[in-house]
This record gives sequence, structure tokens and C-alpha cells, in this order.
Amino acid sequence: MGRSAVTSLEAMTKRNQDDNSPALVVDSVGKQFGSGDSAVTAVDDVSFSVERGSIVGLLGPNGAGKTTLIKSILGTVLPDTGAIRVLGTDVKNERRAAYANVDAMLEGARNDYWRLTVQENLRYFATISGINPDSVATRHARLLERLDLTTWADTPVRDLSRGMKQKVSLASVLAGGAELLFLDEPTLGLDVEGSRTLRSELRRLAIEDGLTVILSSHDMAVIEDVCDRVIVMADGGIVADSDVETLVETVGGDRLQIKSNDLTPRIVSRLRERITKTALKATIDSDSDPHIEVEISEVSLYRLFNILEGADVEIEQIQTIEVGLEEALIELTSTQSQADTRTQAGSVDESHTKVGDPSVNKNQQEAKSPGGTEISTDSIQRSNHSESDMGRSREHDI
Amino acid sequence: MTDSQLFSTAHQDDTEQSDPQPATYYHLTRAVLLREFLLFIRYPANAVGGIVVALFFFIVLFYGGQLLAGRALADSIEGIVVGYFLWTLSSGAYASISNDIGSEVQWGTLERHVTTPFGFAPVALLKGVAKLVRTFLTSAVILVGMLLVTGTKLAFPPVTVIVVAGASVASVLGLGFAAGGITVLYKRVGTWLGLLQFGFVILVSAPVFSIPWLRALPLAHGSALLQRVMVDGTRLWEFSITEISLLFAIAVVYLLGGYVVFHYATRRARRLGVLGDY
Repeated sequence: MGRSAVTSLEAMTKRNQDDNSPALVVDSVGKQFGSGDSAVTAVDDVSFSVERGSIVGLLGPNGAGKTTLIKSILGTVLPDTGAIRVLGTDVKNERRAAYANVDAMLEGARNDYWRLTVQENLRYFATISGINPDSVATRHARLLERLDLTTWADTPVRDLSRGMKQKVSLASVLAGGAELLFLDEPTLGLDVEGSRTLRSELRRLAIEDGLTVILSSHDMAVIEDVCDRVIVMADGGIVADSDVETLVETVGGDRLQIKSNDLTPRIVSRLRERITKTALKATIDSDSDPHIEVEISEVSLYRLFNILEGADVEIEQIQTIEVGLEEALIELTSTQSQADTRTQAGSVDESHTKVGDPSVNKNQQEAKSPGGTEISTDSIQRSNHSESDMGRSREHDI
Repeated sequence: MTDSQLFSTAHQDDTEQSDPQPATYYHLTRAVLLREFLLFIRYPANAVGGIVVALFFFIVLFYGGQLLAGRALADSIEGIVVGYFLWTLSSGAYASISNDIGSEVQWGTLERHVTTPFGFAPVALLKGVAKLVRTFLTSAVILVGMLLVTGTKLAFPPVTVIVVAGASVASVLGLGFAAGGITVLYKRVGTWLGLLQFGFVILVSAPVFSIPWLRALPLAHGSALLQRVMVDGTRLWEFSITEISLLFAIAVVYLLGGYVVFHYATRRARRLGVLGDY
């Protein structure tokens, strides 16, 4: 699939010759808003590339820099530093040619005209994307059919439900036949069936048409389902970049959390002498109940309970924590935030002291896991889980 | 529809159809003008409301003026009708282009246009043309209403009126572009910039014969020429080359100037990361 556009024939030819180049190359891109003391670094020296035909998830908490990065790539935000090549074309030198085959569905935007009908939107956006709408009429009809919008083709978008509007937005960005697509929260407002249809369509487009998709979403099910690869951002930088499976493995397998007021740093030290150090995380502080977490696959639970029994630790609660992409994301991004806090403050908050293996706590810049996941900073150091962990855990009150 | 159906039918369809053809500026023009036309006929309330309000204000102005000025107003009524016609034309074009850019920012569609191969500039320009045509239609209705209310007769050589009024309003479109650009950068000033259209009354009635340099301002020179066309019946070829050249020069300078302001405002908005924020 390709879009001919009004860009110069020379530029088009050049790009076609360069079809083996990555769909996207982001090289040391940085963006800072404001200046002086109020300056905020939204994107900090980010580099990565995306192969054609792949679906890449861009994840991170709010404020991580995802949207600024996407907008920097799209040129709606001008980056301060770095270079970006889209489908083999430098966006700074050949802006029009670079974006001839790119489209985006941005979060919080209408993305289309609500007073026009669904069909009219598709035709309009195909045209401004550089495609004669008459030549893709069949394709538009099929697109509407796949997204279950055929019935609503002649209905003004303003009369549709939120979920339907979201589908129309997706249809309108697909109408021009882009080769590289940016989707920011595409499943927002979609029901289960709508979300499933969208995933199917994305997979089909990637497999059959070689469409490259950069997908930003807080819906982990969508990410896990369709993404070949996940890039995790926190505080403007990339903290992890791998496929979903490796990413989850990197932060460890399922865990057992044991809560007890009898847990002390001394007991934790004793545990560390007897079980695999890296499999144990302990939180003994004033903010929460004292507890330890162990990776179930790495520890002999029989030995663990023996030690606790021997230390007269009365267990108050046990729960298993299933580690999925969501947990991995929380772990990776909270670790980054803590690292930044330490860097800025120069020391750890005294009221939140963790007891851990000193060798594991060292900052480990650009560490690489056995699985090939690139993780920057001290992501090996374990961190507190947020409340969302509890949603995927099973509690066992003693 | 199941996943397997999606996969099985898609490839077959793809092989059946021809490759997409490129869109040219003809297709872009058609798409933008069609969009404006559809919105015009589908939502006529805005246009009708604008006509009613404009006629209402003219009636208040006319009968109020008659009470206050009596015979003096009757002597200059033709000039007032022509001036009011040009004012409705220019304020309509200005408001539609500046408001349209503001709406595109608010809807997030401006960002989509920015990343297309055409960019937003030709789309905005075509929209300006479409809105100019639309405003011509509504202003023509207002003109007929004014002539009926006042019982006045005016010359209306269509080509001359369209060329002179069109060139005059083109300079206002430039101001609309500039205002739209400033709205992209500073979202909240849109309402204040809307008040600028009331300043057009001064430009339309500028005393260009006693203060010649006022002709350099938008609308002023065009207004003087339009008065001669519609009141005195002067035709396009009867104007001197200097007068026509000045009319088009002013149109081009303000249109280009407005576009440059818009271009740099959107560039600064991209630098500040506020292009799509509202």
C-alpha cells in the first residue's frame, strides 16, 4: 500500500528506492519546554528505530513523554535536538515527502469533522493525505465493513456514540493508506467487540499490507495482543525496549508477598544469607506494613517458611502476585522515577528506607538482561508496587 | 464478523482493485469546496441567522439615522448601503477564516492537516475562497434586503463588483489568517480578535480622498472603488491602471503578510508544543 502525493516526484522516487530502510529512526531526540528553573524536559535524548510492518507499543505513565515524542516525530512539536527519519526520509530536510505516507490518531482530538458523514470524512481525509478518493472507493467500503461502520456510512459523525466516533477516527486515518500510523489510545471508548475488531484490523494491516504502527495505550490487553515490541518511557527517556514476553520475564516471575509486623532488617539479612538474593525484596518502613516479596520460581518456599518459623515470625497475610505487562510497566517506570528522585535529591528519603542487597542496589546504567531486553538505570532494584498490583493478586489471610 | 473472515476476505479484495491514484490540487480544491458546500446547505441556520442579524442592524441604522439626520441621510444612503454591503462581506470573510482556524485547533484537525503532504496552508486558503463565495451569497441577500428597505437603486455590474469587492476582501482574508495564527499561539485571544471586524467600519468609510495614504490600509481603497462601481456605475476597464494595480497590490500584500504571520505563529506553536492544545 502506498500513497502517491503532491510531493515532488524526485522525493517519492528516492523514498521508493529506499524501501528497505526502517519505517522510523529516532536519533537522540530531545525536547524541553520552558527555560531556567521552570524548564521541563519532556523527551530526553531518545533513540530507537522501528522496522517496517511491525507494531510497536509505546508505554509509560502520564507525563512520561510519549505524546511529546509522538508529536515530535509527526512534526507538530519541533524537537530541540536530534534527527528523525520517517520511511527513509529526513523530516527536517524533506518534511512534505517524509509525511506523505504517515497519519496519526491523537488522543483527545476529534481527528475528523463531526458535521460531515462517515463516508465524507473518509473521502476528505484520503484527499488531503494525497489520494484521489475515487480510486479507493472500494477500499473505503471494505474498511467501513471491517469496522462495522457500513450502516452508519451516511450518518453525520456528531450523531454517533463515542465508541463509534473512535472507530470513525481510525477509519479516517486508514482512509489515505498510510504506511506508518501513530495511534494514541485508539481503544478509548470502544466496547469489547470494538476493541477486538480494531486489534484484528491492525494485525491484518501489518501482516498483509506491511503497515507499521506505533501504538500508545494504557490498555495492556491491546498492547499484549498486537504489539511485536514494547518501548517503555519514563521521565522523558526509554527505560525498556523489548518484546512483551521478554519484558515481563526481565522484571521476574510471579511473586509471593508475606506481611508480618515481626519482620525486621535483621531477619531480612538472615533470609538473604539463605536464599537467592536477587529473588528477595523487602520493605520495612514507616509508610506501609512490613513485608517481603520473593520470586516463587527462584526460592524454596519450604526453606523460606522454615527460616521465618525459626525466627518466630508470625505471618499475617500471604498473597501471590501475578506478574504481567502491567506489573512490569509499573516496576520499570517507578524504578526510574525513584532513580531520578535520588539523583535530584542526592539521597534516599529517610522515611522510606528499603532493605535490600547493596550489590543489587547499585545504579546499573544500560544493563542488558539475558533475554535481550535493554533496560537503563537501576531497574534491577525492586520497588514498591502500586495499588493496581492488588487487582491481579490473590490474598490469603492467615 | 470473525477474525478468520477478516483475514480471508481482505487479501482477495486487495488483489481485485487497482492501485490508489494520487490526489492533485484539483482533488484538494474539490474536497475542500465540497466540504464547505455541504456544511452550508446542511446547516443553513448559521447563514440565515447572519443575514437576519445583519439586516436587523441595518434597519436600526437606517430608521434611527432618518430620525436623527433626516434629509442628510437620504442624500448619502447609496454610499451607506454600499459601505454596509462591503462591511458584511469583509467581516463575514474575516470571522469565518479566523474562527475556522480556531475551531481546527480545538478539534485537533489542524494537527492532522499539518502532517499531510499538502499541509494546512492550501487547505486554509481554499477554505478562505469557499467562505468568500459563501459570504458573497449571504451579503448579496443582505444587499437586496437593504435596497428594498431603503427603496434605493444601485448599479451591479457582476464582474466588476466581484473583482473589486473580491480583491478588497482578500486583504481582510490576510488579516483573518494573521488572527487565526495568533489564536493558534494564544488560544484565549480569539474572542478579542473577533472585535477587530468592527474596526472594518472605519476602514470602509476611510476618507481616502482627503488623506491619500489611507488607501494603503486594507479595504479603504477597495471601498472607494466599489462606491464608484455601484453608485456611479463605473466599470472595471474605466479605472486607471494605477487604481487597479493598487487594489491588487494591497490584496496581495495583506494576504501574503497574513499568511506569513500564520506560518510563523504555527511554527512557534510547534516549537512551544501548543499547536494542538486548547
